[in-house]
Amino acid sequence: MKTLKMLALIVPAALTLALSSAAARAADPSVDEIVRKTNYVSYYQGTDGRADVRMKIVDKQGRERQREFIILRRDEPEEGKSDEQIQGDQQMYVYFERPADVNKMVFMVHKHLATDDDRWLYMPALDLVKRISSADKRTSFVGSNFFYEDVSGRHIEDDVHELVETTNTFYVLKNTPKDKSSVEFKYFKMWIHKDSFVVVKTEYYDAEPGADGKDPAPYRTYEALGVEDVQGFKTVTKSKMTDHRTGGYTEMEYDHVKYDAGLPADVFTERYLRKPPRKHLR
Amino acid sequence: MTIGMKLADTCARRAGLVTFVMVLVTVVVGTLAALPSIWEMFPDHKPLPGLHTVTVDTDPENMLSKDEAVRVFHDDMKKILSLYDMVVVGVVNEDDPDGVFNPGSLKRIDELTQYAKEHVEGLIEVDLIAPSTVDNIEQGGVGVVNFEWLMHTPPETAEEARSIRDKALDIPFLNDTLVSADGRAICLYLPLERKDLSHAAYVTLREKIATFDGNDQFYITGLPVAEDVFGVEMFVQMAISAPAAMAVIFLLMLLFFRKLVLIISPMIIAMVAVILTMGGLIIVGFPIHIMSSMIPIFIMPIAVLDAVHILSEFFDRYQQTRDRKQTIVKVMDELFMPMLYTSLTSAAGFASLALTPIPPVQVFGVFVALGIMLAWLLTVTFMPAYVMFMPARTLENFGAKHAGGEEEEAHGPLGRVLRWLGKLTYRQAKPILALTVVVLIVAGYGISQITINDNPVKWFTEDHPIREADRVLNDHFGGTYMAYLALEAPDEQYAAPEFLAGFDQRADQKADELKSELPNAPEVFGELKQIAAQQAPQADSREAVLKLIAGEVQQKYDAAPEETEFAWDEASLFVDAERQRSEVFKDPEVLRYIAKLKQALADTGVVGKSNALSDIVKTVHRELLSGDEQDFRIPDSSAAVAQCLVQFQNSHRPDDLWHFVTPDYRTTSLWVQLTSGDNRDMKHVEQAVAAFVRDNPPPAHLHHEWFGLTYINVVWQAKMVTGMLEAFAGSFLVVFLLMTILFRSALWGLLSMVPLTVTIVAIYGAVGLVGKSYDMPVAVLSSLSLGLAVDFAIHFLARSRRYLEEHHGNWESAVPPVFGEPARAITRNIIVIATGFTPLLLAPLTPYKTVGVLLATILLVSGVATLIILPALVRVLEKRLFSAKQEQPVGVTCNCTVCIVSSITAVVLVAMSMAQYWHVGWTTLTWVSLIAVPILALTCGVLSRRQACRGRLSNVGETA
Repeated sequence: MKTLKMLALIVPAALTLALSSAAARAADPSVDEIVRKTNYVSYYQGTDGRADVRMKIVDKQGRERQREFIILRRDEPEEGKSDEQIQGDQQMYVYFERPADVNKMVFMVHKHLATDDDRWLYMPALDLVKRISSADKRTSFVGSNFFYEDVSGRHIEDDVHELVETTNTFYVLKNTPKDKSSVEFKYFKMWIHKDSFVVVKTEYYDAEPGADGKDPAPYRTYEALGVEDVQGFKTVTKSKMTDHRTGGYTEMEYDHVKYDAGLPADVFTERYLRKPPRKHLR
Repeated sequence: MTIGMKLADTCARRAGLVTFVMVLVTVVVGTLAALPSIWEMFPDHKPLPGLHTVTVDTDPENMLSKDEAVRVFHDDMKKILSLYDMVVVGVVNEDDPDGVFNPGSLKRIDELTQYAKEHVEGLIEVDLIAPSTVDNIEQGGVGVVNFEWLMHTPPETAEEARSIRDKALDIPFLNDTLVSADGRAICLYLPLERKDLSHAAYVTLREKIATFDGNDQFYITGLPVAEDVFGVEMFVQMAISAPAAMAVIFLLMLLFFRKLVLIISPMIIAMVAVILTMGGLIIVGFPIHIMSSMIPIFIMPIAVLDAVHILSEFFDRYQQTRDRKQTIVKVMDELFMPMLYTSLTSAAGFASLALTPIPPVQVFGVFVALGIMLAWLLTVTFMPAYVMFMPARTLENFGAKHAGGEEEEAHGPLGRVLRWLGKLTYRQAKPILALTVVVLIVAGYGISQITINDNPVKWFTEDHPIREADRVLNDHFGGTYMAYLALEAPDEQYAAPEFLAGFDQRADQKADELKSELPNAPEVFGELKQIAAQQAPQADSREAVLKLIAGEVQQKYDAAPEETEFAWDEASLFVDAERQRSEVFKDPEVLRYIAKLKQALADTGVVGKSNALSDIVKTVHRELLSGDEQDFRIPDSSAAVAQCLVQFQNSHRPDDLWHFVTPDYRTTSLWVQLTSGDNRDMKHVEQAVAAFVRDNPPPAHLHHEWFGLTYINVVWQAKMVTGMLEAFAGSFLVVFLLMTILFRSALWGLLSMVPLTVTIVAIYGAVGLVGKSYDMPVAVLSSLSLGLAVDFAIHFLARSRRYLEEHHGNWESAVPPVFGEPARAITRNIIVIATGFTPLLLAPLTPYKTVGVLLATILLVSGVATLIILPALVRVLEKRLFSAKQEQPVGVTCNCTVCIVSSITAVVLVAMSMAQYWHVGWTTLTWVSLIAVPILALTCGVLSRRQACRGRLSNVGETA
């Protein structure tokens, strides 16, 4: 296992990307490899990135609410590592535009692998900057069906990963939390596209599998509804999170996605909460 | 040969056939009613087409029909605010100094919560309120705010346990809802998908609780549980009270007639009448409701009554001929008409309940009426047949003892008392009537003191676990009775010119503000105004026009050159802000009004606690700022409110917000927790709010409306009070009409109404004086007793009239015979019916007890009133009654007065029914009646002068 992990680290990113799908199929990657590649595709592509997000929250009764915001993301550079190898600390800046009454509201995260994340909130109408304790990241992201953790990414070390199935198109990973008390699910399964390592579907279960080994009905489902090629990166441009318990769902559409935008580190500091970096938000 | 004789003769000759048909019909009806329910017990059954299983309905909501405005509103609001009926589990620990806030108790509560999540069917898990499922928001050191589960894991130490308590007490939404204000008890709220799952939930929770050690007390309550438990108790009642009534009646009859084989026949009739009625009810598909569950116990004594009359007569006459057939035919001749009339009046009394706007009461009334008429039909057909089945030798000694019985009976204690009473009523007629008037005046005062009040939880007896839970929990908490006060913004009226005026003015203002930073803002906003002016006439609502404008602005923004890009962005933002102007419940002024309204609710003294959107905003605002009391307030702008609410939604339970306000922020609801489910208290709160709103007109033209079960109870009760009054008036008129026709005299008809009227007034006066609440059972009784109690008057007056006739209108000489056999028969009947209802006292539910006690009292009192007031009245009105009698024509239409009185009564009856059922306005009805009455009067006049009447009149004259 350890050697495999080593191997995965050694194999250059470019080479991996260049590999044809036929070659990939010939030798299925290890679980860790899948996990890392998936993590990369989901959260770390490029040195930084930005996107306009249009969020549609729909409840069981079909009532819709819209939110629009811009996400800026920057990976903490690590010397001597290629882009794909960098899956470490990260910063995120979420700038709200609509509805009008939350315009200029900002949510900022400094994601750390070794320690707890730092999270800030800026509320312009109260002219207030507030740190949010990050004890629990599995709370609703601004009232949607996505959690903060879905937006910022769950640490891959938090779960035990098993490859439970390999189909023609998917690797199916079963992820079991190491600390059961910190999460509301028992385990979740990801359907990862074999060629692109895009997570096409994730199902969350709040009970153990039945005696026949079958999964219980999921209470929460993530789906990638649209994937586009942006600057050579496979990018999810439309996703959906459904909460089967409430019957509500949330769709996110990503527009004007841009990688390697050259976002400076100081954009992600408290200074810019009150004074948004207009240049980088356009 | 009269119809009674013919019928008796036929039935006696075809005894076998009559019995066969009766058994066949009973078996068929019984099978059709029971089969679907039995069928359902088999696995993989297919539903039987066209047949209904037995369904039980204990839902007080169903006191109103489904399309009743308040229910429609209630259902709509429940839907748009995702509110569910809740099972409430209260946990109290009286031993620990910290109450349930100790590690042991909290661990058990957590375990129960987990268990409920996994095992309670239909639980709306996301809305479950328990320490481990709700969020806490609080300051976490300087500049930091914490969002976390209130109790992520059960605490290890007493100190941690106390800290959970303190946190919960600090959150207004949880204080006095989840945790009691005294910090010693916890309430879990389990919302269920459907109410009918609550009994299963109750049982499941009880199972788990039984496994706990420790000294916590668990109380399970909440209206859905109460309703379900009620359903179970209802069957217990039916299984105990109905057979007990049967047994009591059986024993009484055995005492009176001492012939087992004979008194079995009334029992059979009662059973068959009950089976047919209840079977019919089930087959037609009506659910068994609290009211309809009382049907058997009402039918039984009444069904037995007619049979008792027949037996009584048969008992008297058999020894004269010793011929079964001859005797029964003679008996039937004598009794056919009186039995028909007493049955008709009783049935009319019950049937008049169909005039109430309360569906379960209607069903009850109609089916009891049906049962009574069935019992009558069975009595007149099966009794003759049954007599024929009895071997002659078993009757050998029957009634033998009775030879010369009249003498014997007359000298018995009952006979002596009655004789004395008869004399008294003759000599002291005026004082008796004066006393009656005094009683009526006192009773009138009593009636004015009646408090109209009901409370479904109080349908359980004092020592019932549900009542205990109710007491304990309302002692600790802000109240377990939920009502909701909805505030709604009225629909916006859209007119393009007005819209544009406001829009343009604010656009100019905005452009002005932006000018210094964005010099081209005025230009862009000018263009925006043009777009608005173009779009406004094309739209039919604010929402639509803003959507159109937003679309145009987006295009402009996308195409904008760099220099105007920011200005167009501001324009787009402005349009969205315009759209949000309709979100009235983000307006600080409106929220402050809600806070004031909450205070008004608290000031009523009945509302222990209320939760509203304003509390959420205040709490989040406080914790975002200092965490201190001074920041527990509504911020100053809509945007600040909106941003507080976004923070509230950054939680584990973002959807909690939508229980308080709709996503368009145009409808909100206040959760009002009352410590009492008494309708009177709810009514008080309702009036207090109405007064507050009147004195403090709400901003934004909001209007308010109540919903929630506690409120629905108030509505159906108000309907019941007026409905019962109408039903009573209706049945009074029906009975009066029947009496007038029966006696061919309006005066005699009126006379027959006197005792029961006095009785009802007296009893309701007593209810008012004693302070008993006028609740559902009390309300229903008026109509019931009317139909029953008039029986005594019919018998008394019919006999009196015959004796008067025999004594040439001399009442003095008629009194002794009237107070002989007839008075004794009436007394016996009073005893049978009144005692027949007493088994209701054994019932575990209060409404049954109330009905039992009051009905027995009403029957006793009206019986006594019949024997005292009626003779006194006859004494005073002797001349009139007798002279009226002399002119008595044979046909109803022949006496002009009788005819007119009957016509008017009938017209009023029809008018009342039309007002009730077709909602015809009273003005229309008055006009129609004003035309109808003279026409009928004229017709009466013509009819009474017709040849047939003259002939008969002269005939009568000749015989007289």
